[in-house]
Amino acid sequence: MSVSPPAALQTQNLVLGYQRTTIIDQLNASIPHGQVTAIIGPNGCGKSTLLAGLAKLHPAKQGHILLDGRDIARLSPREMAQSLALLPQDGVAPDGMTVADLVRFGRHPHTGLLRQWSKDDQQAVVEAIATADLSSMADRPLTTLSGGQRQRAWIAMALAQATPLLLLDEPTAALDLGHQIEVFELIRQLSAEGKTVVMVVHDLASACRYADHLIAMHNGSIIAAGQPKTIVTPELIHQLYGVHCHLIPDPISGTPVIVGVQRSIEHRA
Amino acid sequence: MDRLSMTSTTSASSDLLAPATFNGRPAGLWLLRFGRFSLLLDRRAWLASLLLLLATIVLIGLSLGSGTVKIAPFDALAALFNQGETKTIFIVRDLRLTRVLGGGMAGAALGMAGCLLQTLSRNRLANPDTIGIDNAATAFAVASVVGVSTTLAPSAMALTGAITMLSLTFALSGGAGTRGYRFLITGLGLGAICGAATNLMLARAPIDAANTAFPWTVGSLNNRSGVVVTLLAWGVVVMLPLATIVGKRLNLVRLPDAVAQSLGVRVNRLRFFTIVLAGSLTGLAVAVAGPVGMIGLAAPELGRRLAGPRTVPIIPAALAGACFTMLADLLGRTLFSPTEIPVGIVTALVGGPYLLWFLLRTPRGKQL
Repeated sequence: MSVSPPAALQTQNLVLGYQRTTIIDQLNASIPHGQVTAIIGPNGCGKSTLLAGLAKLHPAKQGHILLDGRDIARLSPREMAQSLALLPQDGVAPDGMTVADLVRFGRHPHTGLLRQWSKDDQQAVVEAIATADLSSMADRPLTTLSGGQRQRAWIAMALAQATPLLLLDEPTAALDLGHQIEVFELIRQLSAEGKTVVMVVHDLASACRYADHLIAMHNGSIIAAGQPKTIVTPELIHQLYGVHCHLIPDPISGTPVIVGVQRSIEHRA
Repeated sequence: MDRLSMTSTTSASSDLLAPATFNGRPAGLWLLRFGRFSLLLDRRAWLASLLLLLATIVLIGLSLGSGTVKIAPFDALAALFNQGETKTIFIVRDLRLTRVLGGGMAGAALGMAGCLLQTLSRNRLANPDTIGIDNAATAFAVASVVGVSTTLAPSAMALTGAITMLSLTFALSGGAGTRGYRFLITGLGLGAICGAATNLMLARAPIDAANTAFPWTVGSLNNRSGVVVTLLAWGVVVMLPLATIVGKRLNLVRLPDAVAQSLGVRVNRLRFFTIVLAGSLTGLAVAVAGPVGMIGLAAPELGRRLAGPRTVPIIPAALAGACFTMLADLLGRTLFSPTEIPVGIVTALVGGPYLLWFLLRTPRGKQL
């Protein structure tokens, strides 16, 4: 409907995989600048692999990933770390570490052997902790926090990294409903402050509600991309998950909510 | 409650809610600033190092002072700096220093190597014994004793064995592998072969040769060549700062690999450096002392306990290793004097129960 915003990250004929298996084949994706993008799709469709590829955890077998127009294969680990932060699913921190200790790690790409701590570093850590609303528990060990608080501490670490891009792999995977909302609201707040966020999300309703842009993946390729309201249809859901469903608008946000899900006959076989 | 305040938080309110940490430096750390340069030091780790340094100095004094001629620890330390009677200076510097220096440095090297390997593999039981380097050093040393017996040869052969093993393990494992596991397992296998070779040689050697070779199979500091001790001392002096720098990076590898990598750490390169460093330190240590067990296991544990969870305690582990080894040697020399117990037997006698206690006590945290 409107001109698409400039891409913060773009893949060109990207091929990703391990040794001989190819997981993502000839993928062309575009992550719009300053928006929240959710990658959705069934288990094993290559969502997390794509996210890891975007963060340069695995080198591309073929094709390119462009970060603000520059090929990430040519960026040093430090340059990468200054432009893009990634939070994987398994956030296990070493024992005894406090919130502030964890968040401080986020400053690693901005410090050096002889420049270990500047005023900027301190300010970034304090602000990241405040943004994640953890100021009152900055010096508490992570193990004493709730799941939602702990996830916010990890996000605070990524915020301290002060990157324009933030990649999150299922940020709400192990959280109950209340804690999920906490984390999603924080992500919206970050986006409002100008960050580009890419997240892998399992729950479709949350993806529709909190993302500006959806990328629907199936078997390593993109089958639809765009605004949730425009691309999410019962047909798409059927293509992705092999289920029949109805969509109704969320009474508050107006975004699609899936109801009446049934396994389709052809998938039962 | 939490959730309500969460939604109402705006970035502006962060100034109002200035937390306690906002005084220029993170809590629990010292910040040193010299113009454009700054250092961030962990308070607890440095205090632990200071404490262990004091213990090391006391043990150096005690070790240098004990023997057939008793010297007060303080006089022994003074003699080290050429102060005091000529006879005392001669005894301390020419007769006893090599042994004490050898023990202390070997312990420091094993402590550092253990700390590096444990952090790398995130396993508290990983240590220089498990990577087979000491088995190889023993096998080579024993081969030289059983073959041609000279004073320098066993040490030189032990060093050769350690280097051979390190290169062979690297070649066979094809790099460090995830968390260094592939390297550790390859070392374990090759070490077992070397152990068997040692036993075979001892079984076939004449009894006198086997007796001479015996200290090399348990770890001993008796009659060590000054050349090799000097080499070890220089090795430790050079590698301590390197290990400290690597340790700072390894601290990030305590986070999930994906996080460390996205924070800009070249994880594979770091693993390679860590293993080369740990292997070289172990090699030099066993060239002097033979396979002294348990130090690489116990020293990092004590270092971690004292230095706290924020750092990878390279320096505390080095000092603790030096203390343990000197203490074990001191006990071995004095407990049943004039009969001397090799240092490796003392560390095993003390370290065995330590390991049992460690395994049997209630687990209090597993994540390194």
